[in-house]
Amino acid sequence: MIKSYKFRRRIANFFIYILLAILGIIWISPFVYLVLHSFRQESMTTVPYLIPHEWTLNNYIELFNVSGSSSINFPRWFLNTLVVAIFSCMISTISVLAVSYTFSRLRFGARKKLMNVAMILGMFPGFMTMIAIYYLLKAMGLNQNLIALVICYSSGAGLGFQISKGFFDTIPRALDEAATIDGATKNQIFWRIILPMSKPIVVYTVLTSFIGPWCDFILAKIIMGDKRELYTVAIGLQSMVSAEFINSYYKQFLAGSVLVAIPITTLFLIMQRYYVEGVTAGGVKG
Amino acid sequence: MKKIIAVLMAGMMTASVFAGCGGSGGSSGSSGSSASDTQSSADDGGAQVKDANLVDVSMFGEEDNISLKVWCAHKATGLVEKQIEEFKKAYPEKKFENIEVVAVGEGDAGTQMLNDASTAADVFSFASDQLNKLVGAKVIAPVAFTKAVTEMNAETTVEAGTLDGTLYAYPQTNDNGYYLVYDKSVVSEDKTGKLEDILAACKDAGKKFIFDSGNGFYSCTYAFTAGVKINGLEKDGVTQKFTEYDEEEAVKTLQAFSKLMHDYSGTYTSLDVAQIASGFSTGTLGAGIDGSWNTAADKDALKDNFGAAKLPTINVDGTDKQLVSLFGYKYIGVNAASKFPASAQILAYYLAGETCQQQRAEELGWGPSNKNVQQMDVVTKSDIQQAIKAQSENACVQVNIATTFWDPMANLGNKLIADKTDPSDADYFKKLLQETIANIRDEG
Repeated sequence: MIKSYKFRRRIANFFIYILLAILGIIWISPFVYLVLHSFRQESMTTVPYLIPHEWTLNNYIELFNVSGSSSINFPRWFLNTLVVAIFSCMISTISVLAVSYTFSRLRFGARKKLMNVAMILGMFPGFMTMIAIYYLLKAMGLNQNLIALVICYSSGAGLGFQISKGFFDTIPRALDEAATIDGATKNQIFWRIILPMSKPIVVYTVLTSFIGPWCDFILAKIIMGDKRELYTVAIGLQSMVSAEFINSYYKQFLAGSVLVAIPITTLFLIMQRYYVEGVTAGGVKG
Repeated sequence: MKKIIAVLMAGMMTASVFAGCGGSGGSSGSSGSSASDTQSSADDGGAQVKDANLVDVSMFGEEDNISLKVWCAHKATGLVEKQIEEFKKAYPEKKFENIEVVAVGEGDAGTQMLNDASTAADVFSFASDQLNKLVGAKVIAPVAFTKAVTEMNAETTVEAGTLDGTLYAYPQTNDNGYYLVYDKSVVSEDKTGKLEDILAACKDAGKKFIFDSGNGFYSCTYAFTAGVKINGLEKDGVTQKFTEYDEEEAVKTLQAFSKLMHDYSGTYTSLDVAQIASGFSTGTLGAGIDGSWNTAADKDALKDNFGAAKLPTINVDGTDKQLVSLFGYKYIGVNAASKFPASAQILAYYLAGETCQQQRAEELGWGPSNKNVQQMDVVTKSDIQQAIKAQSENACVQVNIATTFWDPMANLGNKLIADKTDPSDADYFKKLLQETIANIRDEG
């Protein structure tokens, strides 16, 4: 009986692993293709085979070899995105944590209502209001400007407080009370007591808000318009595969896509440990 | 104290928003009024025009310290920058602060103009099918030198740039279409006349033939060749009109196409045109139907083996029918909201003028719309230009096309080439054709 149970389990595991392996291969194949072909020498656009015939680093070198007023300026786009990502990351992390703390610890009249409003607002996709956002920014003289991007990515960040609030809720209120008795203000409690205990959720917030600018396409596109030197990598890379550029820039596009993965992956690897902890911890209500 | 600060901050933010509103409102108002100034001088005719490139300097009016933005195709930016330097030298009386050249493709310019004309270019290049939208949205200013422009350029290009009797854009090229490109080592020159021969040659060599049947821009060739040609728009301005056609004949033509696709399945492939230059460079492609803007890339890939010809014929019931394509022109337009409307018109006149067209024909291989340049060696002695010209005589003009045109046409192409389609099933093609037309006319 035991033997047959073991046997059955093995059979089941065998099929499960086969299935998982197939799914894994499907999932990873675009990345393998991307990396392999970013080193491809021959042909201009796509080729019908997986392994390149001739290997080269030229695609990467040319990507950084920008002549004066070229329309394709990857290093500049990379820098733009990095700057926007860093600033919007700082602003939105602080605002998310502050909002979460407020909803978790303070009690005030419209608390519940505000939380519901935030929940409902969060259900609409951000780009729904893009035309209105564009004209507002234009009225402030901020269109075609990197500051506009920082504003767009960080100003609504406070609405995404739910996960952090869930985490703060798990920290015993007794700590706050003890600190209050010792004479600490709400502000001091937030910075000195709660934050040091919330590393996982801080890391989670930093990561998510840092990734945003690298992935956003719609808002950046509509704000930047024809200002090519202020493009972020997302719109820049897309423009490299538009009809006009694809024949000369397709392989550089592949190389650029690989490079974009670097900052995000590095940050992710460093902070991964906390990331998992952060997401799961925030999901548990104490 | 904190509350006071909070109120103050909120007040400041609101104030800055409204302050911005006031400023931009004022400037847009002033540019609006100056745009109407140009319109009033639009019909002055050719009196102020000096020659095929320049106008009398008085046409600038009060404008000085001019700064403008120009949109053109990426490939042309270098040349246009040089041309603008010449332009500045030609008017030494005026001071030019900055004339910026930005790469925005002709296909994309219309959309970008409509997004926000006030941050868009003053002078922009665009393809003929966008004229409707641009005029409808009132973002394009009419041509200021109508008489001279009309005289200089080929009649068809002027006609397609005219809407309700007003010429809205400066014709720039007469080449926006597609034609046959082939590898001379695979398809010999005498075989390019018939689609059947081309496919047979490609199949013998084990190479592909690319015709992007999943894109309405190319696949409308099937319908046009079948005799179902476009004929402007209905009175409502949105519904596509078609010419009278013989349904039986049309169905037979579609069957002939489908039969070729199935007989040469594996050879006759429907892939994006970007694959054509790529296929030539890897040696997997024998011939393809490619756009004129990819000529340079195709030529690079094939070197001396590069061949160009007008589209071939297809045999329908024993008669060879010429393939009919979609053909358009490129124009230079002036933004109606330009802060320097007169200067923008003068610059557009220069860039669309004879010298600039000649330079673009020589350096970029763009087919000119200017009658004089069309007679020059650069055009008459170029195989490519001749192929494009020959095809333009067998084409529907890409103007007044309904937005609902493209997807049903793409669907038609996809259905023809689909594996499960049976080329001998006439009823199927009859229904497909009727559905395609109904969908384009939005009657389905």
